[in-house]
Amino acid sequence: MVCKDKAPLKLFFMPRTWGGRKINRTYRYFTVLIFLGIGTLLFFFLNICIGSIPVPFPDTVRMLAGQKGDETITKILWDIRLPRAAAVLILGGALSLAGYLLQTFFNNPIAGPFVLGISSGAKMVVALVMVFFMGKNITVTSTAMIFAAFIGAMISMGFVLLVSRKIDNMSMLVVSGVMIGYICSAITELVITFADDADIVNLHNWSRGSFSGMTWENVQVMAIVVFLTFFAVFLMSKPLSAYQLGDAYAKNAGVNIRVLRACIVVFSSIFSACIVAFAGPISFVGIAAPHLVKKLLNTIDPIWMIPACFLGGSVFCLFCDLLAKTMLAPTELSISTVTAIFGAPVVLWIMIKKRKGSHA
Amino acid sequence: MKNYYFSTKKMCVGYDNKPLIKEIELALPKGEILTLIGPNGAGKSTVLKSITGQLQLIGGTVFLGKDSLAALKANELARKMSVVLTQKLKAEMKNCWDVVATGRYPYTGWFGILSKEDEQMVDEVMELTHTTDIRHREFDKISDGQKQRVMLARAICQEPEIVILDEPTSYLDIRYKLDFLSILQEMREKKGLTVIMSLHELELAKIVSDKILCLKGEYVERYGTPEEVFESDFIQELFDMKNGSFLKNKKFAAYIRQLSAKP
Repeated sequence: MVCKDKAPLKLFFMPRTWGGRKINRTYRYFTVLIFLGIGTLLFFFLNICIGSIPVPFPDTVRMLAGQKGDETITKILWDIRLPRAAAVLILGGALSLAGYLLQTFFNNPIAGPFVLGISSGAKMVVALVMVFFMGKNITVTSTAMIFAAFIGAMISMGFVLLVSRKIDNMSMLVVSGVMIGYICSAITELVITFADDADIVNLHNWSRGSFSGMTWENVQVMAIVVFLTFFAVFLMSKPLSAYQLGDAYAKNAGVNIRVLRACIVVFSSIFSACIVAFAGPISFVGIAAPHLVKKLLNTIDPIWMIPACFLGGSVFCLFCDLLAKTMLAPTELSISTVTAIFGAPVVLWIMIKKRKGSHA
Repeated sequence: MKNYYFSTKKMCVGYDNKPLIKEIELALPKGEILTLIGPNGAGKSTVLKSITGQLQLIGGTVFLGKDSLAALKANELARKMSVVLTQKLKAEMKNCWDVVATGRYPYTGWFGILSKEDEQMVDEVMELTHTTDIRHREFDKISDGQKQRVMLARAICQEPEIVILDEPTSYLDIRYKLDFLSILQEMREKKGLTVIMSLHELELAKIVSDKILCLKGEYVERYGTPEEVFESDFIQELFDMKNGSFLKNKKFAAYIRQLSAKP
């Protein structure tokens, strides 16, 4: 039984016998990237086609190409589904990359913006800002939201860094992150309770995490922020690869560790801020997606992991959002409900494997 | 004044601004091997960490040639100095070849992609250090001794002028200890490699070193050639072996005499 189970798994993960020759490895990396790219496209179109009103694939393509069709359907496609799918693609990638950066930073496979309380910190500040401005009848722009979320993310990150300086223990770090998260969530709840009735519905939906209600203006802002940050992170891939060897060896290789650490903190906070500002806190993607991608690639080399993580996160989120929309239609599930179902088992798997490894 | 490749002026090392060893004055010509010996906790690793810049110096200066170490650019220093530390290198999902290839880091471009020459260099160094047979093995799954050899290969792959090794022979069996040290000697004869390392094996320190630094207490206990260090009962004093219960055993006493004997 056991043997039968293992055989296809091994084939899927392409075992180490491949790992030897460099050429073969490069093929593998490209194959994974192409595979993830195709997956992203596929789920992107599925997300556009499937919904309360299903649109056949050929019609979708025709309408996206600019041909006239039924006016309502065109409007649904262009103004609701397309921006939403684009947002999921961008934010999913950002979320996964934020997780990967934090895992590299803390050398901890279960670090991520959600478990370390960074998402919750961002959420708290955004909620405060929203309630404050809504009370004065001022609309908050996307850029201002990102900025508020970034400040919140940096506050949480500061706390986590303080704690991590005192304790060098994987589980304790996560526990302290979860605690920070609870504190921030409690404050957020408090603020929402005292907010005006009209705001509550809006805030409540967002604070649970959801991709619904994305506008093109939102997409534009997040695309600019996320892709610029992605580019910056990709340029850091060489020092990151040295950082993965451990501080002492990175230093000997000529890496300025302080600057690099600061960059990782800032970039992962920007990613987290972007996600929280537009979609609210989303759990587990930041841990599960990088881990699955790492297993597919069989390397932690940043130059491959950074693009693959982005695509992996996109696929994961597009898939989860599709389920969130359709599983109990017309009711929409919160995105975190779905990501938790698929993400939490992966986290458990990592922790169990880690235990075994440390005993060996 | 002679031309020294590596020298220190009034170097003072320690943790958190508390000096542990003061006023270390070293001077080493190019292509010499300096060995640090001393009892456990004497500060051998502290001195080595301070030289590599992992620990902040509390006082004094370290010179490479005429340049102060602090004034060298990080990448320049990386091309001159490589390290093998007691602390293990993290190599998740890397095989031994990959680990050795990380030594090429200071020579690769912006994205760290290895050129044909870099790859050839890795192959050659692995041949030299007898690690070719484990090149495809995962680094995390080989023995400590094998890891040590891969780490040496990595350090050599960095094409350094000086290499700093912290207890490099600890996990090796006797054959590989000799193998390891003979590679270092070969590198120094061929390429003028300067070596600074700490050793626990006194009998090996005696035969491979040009200079020996003896550490114990706040100041350097003694610094000189093996002949100057291994004389009368200095070694016995250094390691507090003047009166121990083991001296009653004749075989042990004879062993200690043999250790402290002149080379």
